[in-house]
Amino acid sequence: MIEVSQLTKKYGDHVAIDSLNFTVKKGEVVGFLGPNGAGKSTTMKIITGFMAPSSGAAQIAGYDVFENPIEVKRRIGYLPETPPVYLDMNVEEYLSYVAELKGVEKERRLQLVNRAVEKTNLGQVRRRLIHNLSKGFKQRVGIAQALVSDPEVLILDEPTVGLDPKQVAEIRDLIKELRGQHTIILSTHILPEVQATCERIIIIHRGKIVAQDSLANLSALQSGGRKVHLKVRKSAAELGAKLKGIRGIQKVVSGATPQDWELDTESDDEIVETVAREIIAGGYGLLEIGSVKADLEDIFLKLTYGDSSPNGSGQRMEVHA
Amino acid sequence: MRPIIAIFRKEFKGFLFNPNFLLVCALMATLLSFLYPISLRSFQDQARNAMMFAHNSGGQQLNIHYGVFLKHLSYLNLMLILVVPALTMRLFAEEKKMKTFDLLLTSPITSAQIVIGKYLAALAAIFVIMLLAFLYPLSTAYFAKINWGPLVVAFLGIFLVAAVYAAMSLFCSSLTESAIVAFAMAVLFNISIWFVGVGVEVVDSSTARSVFEHISLNQHLTAMVEGTVRSSTLIFFGSAIFLFGFLSERVIESSRWR
Ligand SMILES: Nc1ncnc2c1ncn2[C@@H]1O[C@H](COP(=O)(O)OP(=O)(O)O)[C@@H](O)[C@H]1O
Ligand SMILES: [Mg+2]
Repeated sequence: MIEVSQLTKKYGDHVAIDSLNFTVKKGEVVGFLGPNGAGKSTTMKIITGFMAPSSGAAQIAGYDVFENPIEVKRRIGYLPETPPVYLDMNVEEYLSYVAELKGVEKERRLQLVNRAVEKTNLGQVRRRLIHNLSKGFKQRVGIAQALVSDPEVLILDEPTVGLDPKQVAEIRDLIKELRGQHTIILSTHILPEVQATCERIIIIHRGKIVAQDSLANLSALQSGGRKVHLKVRKSAAELGAKLKGIRGIQKVVSGATPQDWELDTESDDEIVETVAREIIAGGYGLLEIGSVKADLEDIFLKLTYGDSSPNGSGQRMEVHA
Repeated sequence: MRPIIAIFRKEFKGFLFNPNFLLVCALMATLLSFLYPISLRSFQDQARNAMMFAHNSGGQQLNIHYGVFLKHLSYLNLMLILVVPALTMRLFAEEKKMKTFDLLLTSPITSAQIVIGKYLAALAAIFVIMLLAFLYPLSTAYFAKINWGPLVVAFLGIFLVAAVYAAMSLFCSSLTESAIVAFAMAVLFNISIWFVGVGVEVVDSSTARSVFEHISLNQHLTAMVEGTVRSSTLIFFGSAIFLFGFLSERVIESSRWR
């Protein structure tokens, strides 16, 4: 349904997105995950035909976004970062106008407006001026306007940003409900968002795709790893090198104090035993040892924030692999 | 065609139900109601004098068309120089500022359709103002015999001038996010087109003169307010409108390629 190849966008010298490649199949719900400034909005603006790329191509339902923008736009509902609402219109008028702009015939317009109002729970405010609505309601009107032409593809740029937890939950439920009726791409900088709603994740960082897989696969991949935290009595720098030498340990990071250490290891249960044995044998004085299986949050952080500054996050010193 | 109608209807309704539009209309009506009787009275005095000294004035024409209506229209024109930018300044600037422009640019419509829809809505709003202004001569018809042909042509002339103002103001609005900046630019444009044809007065060469004559708003308008419609005049107004419409379309289109 959506095919993106070698998509690149430069703002002057600044490369916002760099040779992105991905495809989204019909009916899929894909989460576009990345920290602020990663290039999510830029990618979405190009896919919707709002903006031209510097190079590369994007296709929606077989139509090239630049050769056939009108056909592409007919098939897309788009919620930009700021909901594009006219404050001096009421909700119903506004949705009807958007439907008209999107080329919905007069006979179907009322029905589609009703559907969008119903899905986004705007019933009680449908005759209200948008100006007088709260932020949460404006956001819902924004989603309703993306839905109102019953498009094949929905592109939602941070649909829950700035909402309170209850509203966030409602919008997530709505997205789940829309699954199967539309192909959906939504962007977010928070992981629980995609965990709650998406089947597949594309993680983007500094304009590059750093991971893309199904939620299940990404989680499974990670269940292969674990994090071990340990505390020793003696602070000895050579302990780092020693731990590094143990088979199955991928990364050793010194913790908040010289006595604390964090290890990324393989999932093997024996690793914890081996580490404990090494420390006791070396006479470092084992105080604490604990292990947790890493979750998706860790991969996300590792992929995105992990290399954001050469010295890690300041208090942590990395011992090189 | 359908998107043009959609945009036209939305914007025209936006004008009519906007309190500012009603305020502008009320303000113009107040000013004109103040000025119109003044020119009417002075015309009356002149007419009375002329009758008293009828034997002196010979063939000199004393005409309500010149004495009252053209004055009325020139006041109207002065007001339109400010009013048209005030009405049209938000047409693009506000869409950009409120990010609703994103909606238009991601809808299955072309930049030209957006420009035409908005331009026609501005024309319709100006037409409402022209109707308002037409009420004054209309009321005069109650107690004076009026030659309607030249009057309607003269009104049409001012309407065409306002249509040029609207095209320029729309173009200014497309250039910026700030309605105030758009307004200021548009007023400058509206004033400066009156000086385009000034060359008529200053050049000697006859070819240069005829060129300036052709692009002089003044020359074309003078012909119209006197009641004659020339095809060259229509072409002049048409091409000025087309030029600024086209420039607006280019600006909108280029915002897709930033
Ligand atoms: N109009 C613009 N002009 C210049 N730089 C921009 C513009 N829009 C975005 N950027 C830059 O491009 C990068 C990606 O931005 P964006 O796509 O908005 O990221 P995200 O939506 O993931 O937060 C950022 O570094 C941002 O500063
Ligand atoms: Mg963004």
